[in-house]
Amino acid sequence: MTTPPVERIAIKEGLFAGPLDNIEDVHLAGSKCRSCQEVGLGQLDVCPNCGADDLVPVTLGDVGTLYTYTIVRHRPPGNYQGPAEFKPFGLGLVEVDGAIRVMAPLLPAINDIRIGMELRLHPYVLRTTDTGAEVVAFAYDATGEQK
Amino acid sequence: MSNVYIIGAGYHPFGRFEKSYQQIGSEAATSALKDAGVEWRDVQAAYMARMYLPATSGARILRSLGATDISVIDIEAACASGGAALLQGMLAIRAGEADLVLVAGTEKMPRGFMDPSMIYSSWQIELGMSMNPAYWSMRAMRHMHEYGTTHEQIAMVAHKNHLNSVHNPMAMYQKEFSMEQILNSPLVCDPIRLLEICAPNDGAAAVVLASERKMRQLGADGIRIAAAAHTISRYSSDFRCPAETMSATMDNDGPTEVTAARAFTTAGFGIEDIDCFEVQDTDAFCEIELYEELGLCPVGEGGRLVQDGHTAIGGKMPVNMSGGLISKGEPVGASHLGQIVELVAQLRGTCGPRQVEGARTALGHVLGAGGNCAITILQK
Repeated sequence: MTTPPVERIAIKEGLFAGPLDNIEDVHLAGSKCRSCQEVGLGQLDVCPNCGADDLVPVTLGDVGTLYTYTIVRHRPPGNYQGPAEFKPFGLGLVEVDGAIRVMAPLLPAINDIRIGMELRLHPYVLRTTDTGAEVVAFAYDATGEQK
Repeated sequence: MSNVYIIGAGYHPFGRFEKSYQQIGSEAATSALKDAGVEWRDVQAAYMARMYLPATSGARILRSLGATDISVIDIEAACASGGAALLQGMLAIRAGEADLVLVAGTEKMPRGFMDPSMIYSSWQIELGMSMNPAYWSMRAMRHMHEYGTTHEQIAMVAHKNHLNSVHNPMAMYQKEFSMEQILNSPLVCDPIRLLEICAPNDGAAAVVLASERKMRQLGADGIRIAAAAHTISRYSSDFRCPAETMSATMDNDGPTEVTAARAFTTAGFGIEDIDCFEVQDTDAFCEIELYEELGLCPVGEGGRLVQDGHTAIGGKMPVNMSGGLISKGEPVGASHLGQIVELVAQLRGTCGPRQVEGARTALGHVLGAGGNCAITILQK
């Protein structure tokens, strides 16, 4: 008997490119405007810059550099799904493909985070829904490369 | 365009009170009407700025003054709600629909971080990307990296504003803090510390607006609204909350630059002609960035401006004489009108120890979620 595959859904619809079956092979999706060439995050119907509706789906690169960051020192309010025992964590804007800066949680130890450091996308299963589907989210982790 | 004047201003102190929002709001409105020397029944339209209160708050607050049949409209534009309401009140008079208008802002907010579901998507909340100070802090971190702005310079803004608040009965904290106390207060989101951010709280402020004809008829001595502007940020010009991404290639003017340009075009004069300022110091760094975006100094030199004392009372360009939001707290709907109450008092010359000598022009600025920005310029 084989276990039926677990259903996986993105934490935000259209956030990822391609199937979510292999977590190692999950990438962020983008939408590139044919008119102004701007790239938006996720699958978009309308360009967030110029309003044109002629967009091409793109897959964003997994590696980026840290543009800026902060350390969140207190448990965020509301339905935060981080560790039950709160640990301060990094949050930053990660520049990808020279086109877009993505706001994301950062996994490196808080004392190791530096502007300009190289980071790699880290997709992971955040939680399981009431109906058993796994919710895929993302963060960025260090690549170990110095820049 | 016809002139519109502020002929009365009043407030309920900012802080935390065992009172309903209706009481807080109506006390501010009553105080403004009294200051103007007019009766509520003579007011022809009213606008109530608020963000965290229920529907029809304006009507519920003002009904206690008497159930007149005028138009009362709630206005919401995040931290710029008060500016948006003032703009609408001014336009009603310019359009000839009214000669006497009440514009008020009221808020009553829970302690601690604001309810994130008001401005963030559920996935941002799940991932912990839903604390407003985190976004302000990321701006500070980048500025420090690019221009060498220091922790000390950021703390100097908090020190200056807390010092100014000592003489302001509107402020929640009327207390001086030493640089050491500020720099040793706990980090909230690096590099911003607890004594460098404002607290959400309760409060209300109100102004009475009049047409030139009405002002003359009343024999009132008004302060002219030289400009009132409100905008939402352009694409990728501002990574204030709840931003998800920024462009890596576009460098659009930010909301403060755009709104200021619009306001100064209307006013017919420039930043160098303004005698005193109240600006959005939700965190101490934000004030440094605003010096640059308003044009008080070149980009990258905001830290130096506060360090050299130019923005203190007695300096060349005093900023946040009231103590700012860092001292008063930020009852969101009331914050801009609170600034206007301070600026009207400055132009009347009634501010006592925090008076800017000879002030004839003043600028109030607010900025918040979604890049909502409002600027009001007043002239004696």
